[in-house]
Amino acid sequence: MAESYQEGSGAGADFDLSQFYQIFFEEAGENLDQMEHMLLDLDLEKADDEELNGIFRCAHSIKGGAATFGFSDVAELTHQMESLLDRLRRHELQPIPQMVDVLLESADASRSLLARHQAGAQDEAPSTASLVRRISELAAGMVPAPSAPVEPQAPPPPVAKVEPPAPAPAAVAAPSGLRSLHVRIGPLDRMEQAETIKELFRDIPGLGSIADLPCSDTNARLFAVETSSTDSDLLDLFTFHVAKEQVQITEAGSGAAALAAPADPDLAEGAVSNLPPGEAYGFFNNAPGAPAGAPVPAIQAIEPASAVTRIAPKPGAEAKAGSQSQMESTTIRVDVKKVDQLINLVGELVITQAMLAQNSLGLDSATHQQLLAGLADLDRNTRDLQESVMSIRMIPMSIVFSRFPRMLRDLANKLGKKVEMVTLGEATELDKGLVEKITDPLTHLVRNSGDHGIELPADRLAKGKPEHGTITLSASHQGGSIVIEVKDDGRGLSRDKILAKARERGMDVSDQMSDAEVWQLIFAPGFSTAEVVTDVSGRGVGMDVVKRNIAALNGTVEVDSSEGYGTKVSVRLPLTLAIMDGMSVGVGEEVYILPLSSVVESFQVNSEDVNTVAQGSQLVKVRDEYMPVIALEKIFQVPRFDLEKSSTIMVVVEAEGNRVALLVDELLGQHQVVVKNLESNYRKVPNVSGATILGDGRVALILDIGGLVRRARH
Amino acid sequence: MQSILAVDDSPSMRKMVSFTLSGAGYHVVEAVDGQDALEKAQSHEIDLVLADQNMPRLDGIGLTRKLREDPKFKTIPILILTTESSDQMKQAGRAAGATGWLVKPFDPNRLIEVIKKVIR
Repeated sequence: MAESYQEGSGAGADFDLSQFYQIFFEEAGENLDQMEHMLLDLDLEKADDEELNGIFRCAHSIKGGAATFGFSDVAELTHQMESLLDRLRRHELQPIPQMVDVLLESADASRSLLARHQAGAQDEAPSTASLVRRISELAAGMVPAPSAPVEPQAPPPPVAKVEPPAPAPAAVAAPSGLRSLHVRIGPLDRMEQAETIKELFRDIPGLGSIADLPCSDTNARLFAVETSSTDSDLLDLFTFHVAKEQVQITEAGSGAAALAAPADPDLAEGAVSNLPPGEAYGFFNNAPGAPAGAPVPAIQAIEPASAVTRIAPKPGAEAKAGSQSQMESTTIRVDVKKVDQLINLVGELVITQAMLAQNSLGLDSATHQQLLAGLADLDRNTRDLQESVMSIRMIPMSIVFSRFPRMLRDLANKLGKKVEMVTLGEATELDKGLVEKITDPLTHLVRNSGDHGIELPADRLAKGKPEHGTITLSASHQGGSIVIEVKDDGRGLSRDKILAKARERGMDVSDQMSDAEVWQLIFAPGFSTAEVVTDVSGRGVGMDVVKRNIAALNGTVEVDSSEGYGTKVSVRLPLTLAIMDGMSVGVGEEVYILPLSSVVESFQVNSEDVNTVAQGSQLVKVRDEYMPVIALEKIFQVPRFDLEKSSTIMVVVEAEGNRVALLVDELLGQHQVVVKNLESNYRKVPNVSGATILGDGRVALILDIGGLVRRARH
Repeated sequence: MQSILAVDDSPSMRKMVSFTLSGAGYHVVEAVDGQDALEKAQSHEIDLVLADQNMPRLDGIGLTRKLREDPKFKTIPILILTTESSDQMKQAGRAAGATGWLVKPFDPNRLIEVIKKVIR
């Protein structure tokens, strides 16, 4: 009956628990993410029960799983976190920033411990002893002295921090006379924990003496203690090493019998804390469904109902948590590779379908009625299938945004700034491939805002701004694109500084340049106006890399700023990279695809509107605006077999805010094309961003409008 | 085949319990929390309920109390899984009408052993 707490952990003889590890790792990762999120959102002044319960539950779940699956280091750390959180949610302690700090660090440490288990690492695990000690100090109600501001150059590692041993509280030894006590420690996960209690008496002069006593419980220890300290002082000390619930202190002689033989049911009544908490399972006597003659736990003597603490979740908590569990039960996890394979196959299907449609054009509709009807169905179903499959890859921007509050918090701490983060449009969905690639550039932009944009609190106050800087991250759909904005209310870009720096670097600039042109200068390689190079930003990648990475995703970056008021960086991206709405145009025998998102309009050329300027380049006037003309025939050196035909249609396209007119022979139609990477299948071709396979099996090139516009403008 | 309603908000624990019990020849109905369990209990024939204590929306003891209000579930065994075998928890479990408790972490063999003691 009195099995130890530990015995249940690990795999049984017939069960291999390792098959559940992966689920547990993912689940624990989600719990840690959620805990971090909630900790960052926690309002220390008025933390509500719901939030605290939520955070507690995360730690609790991880602990339960880690213990079950045998990851004892994670279980121990999360157990400590849980103990602290338990006291918080019971309002026995007031939340303070140090608690949030240590819990965040512990979450990081748990994450790296889990990652080690996941990778099957055999080397020695990083020690979490100092974290455990800090948590138990805080849980015991001690407030550690605030740590000195951290130098920007030396960020402390989150784990394995070595700190001096805990100083013993000075007020332990009271001058009153010696008392003889019996102290029961248990149930314990590890019996050596009790040894640490003995060490306390050895390490702290004047605390008193301790000696072993026999104990009937296999997972508890009983000690005889002679001390002049009060029970609460002792308890405070012991709780550095064991949970408060694991300690029972009684005067020697009075309650010793109860401690030594705690299973005695007569003593249970009215003395709840003396009950044996150690059984691995038990049944309530006379409870519905309880087996007759089953092992009877000591609980039988307890009066029900009146003494019971009812644990009922608040109605609000139910509603909020409801959507979470709903989500859990209606989603499945799938390897991204499988989804990509599916997308590839659907892409092939789309091409095959287009080929069939093309081949059926010449068929007589009367004699092939059934076949044509079938093809029409195939067309519709293929399109639906394609849309559904593409939607699988779409994930919300919150995945990216969620990493920033933590990063900004650390950054603000490091720099001594006060920064608040606001996110808008987190539900906006974006292709997974894009999300992964946009994360780094966005991280850089957010860091820049925090490091260079937001001023120190004193400077902000001096300028009449609120002490807290605000960084706003927003995402929204605009047409076929997603626009992500990083906005701060910091010092803004300085036009003079940028121009001065540009001149210093020998760049061709003038005071007459528009603001937009000046802001574009920050995208030049190696350009930085930061006065102090910190380890946060200012080194490593610059805005040029950000711009290049975004351009590689067919996206654009724009900057808008006002000195003293802040900066806004807007990133515009296509929704997906795999499929694109295109307009096909014919030049000679060739077919080219223009991304529909960049097409503005098309018209029949009126020769009066075309002017030839220097070096034979042409300009066309469209509604009072002159724009360069690019003849695709010349750029791609398209051979002409039919000399009767010539390019008479212009398609106006726009990229990076500039427009050009493309000269083509004919407009063939609009359709969705499956984008194939030309670079990985062939080589990089100038002015071409990719290729696709047409319905008749031919390859058509997709034009790089950005490249064409730059070519015409320079 | 006897049916067990396994209630736990942790997917890994749920999978572990479900795998263990299926392997022992029971039919397992899974529920993600107490609220979900109440709904599943109405739509399935259930012979035993195995519920985690700490769950969002409705915890194990709350679920037990609600189930016992329904004459259909007056007598079926309800076991509470908990990481804390504290007396307060036990008292609350007993008052709510639970049949017994099982402390987490537990060995899969132990789980089957306990279930066999109470299932009919």
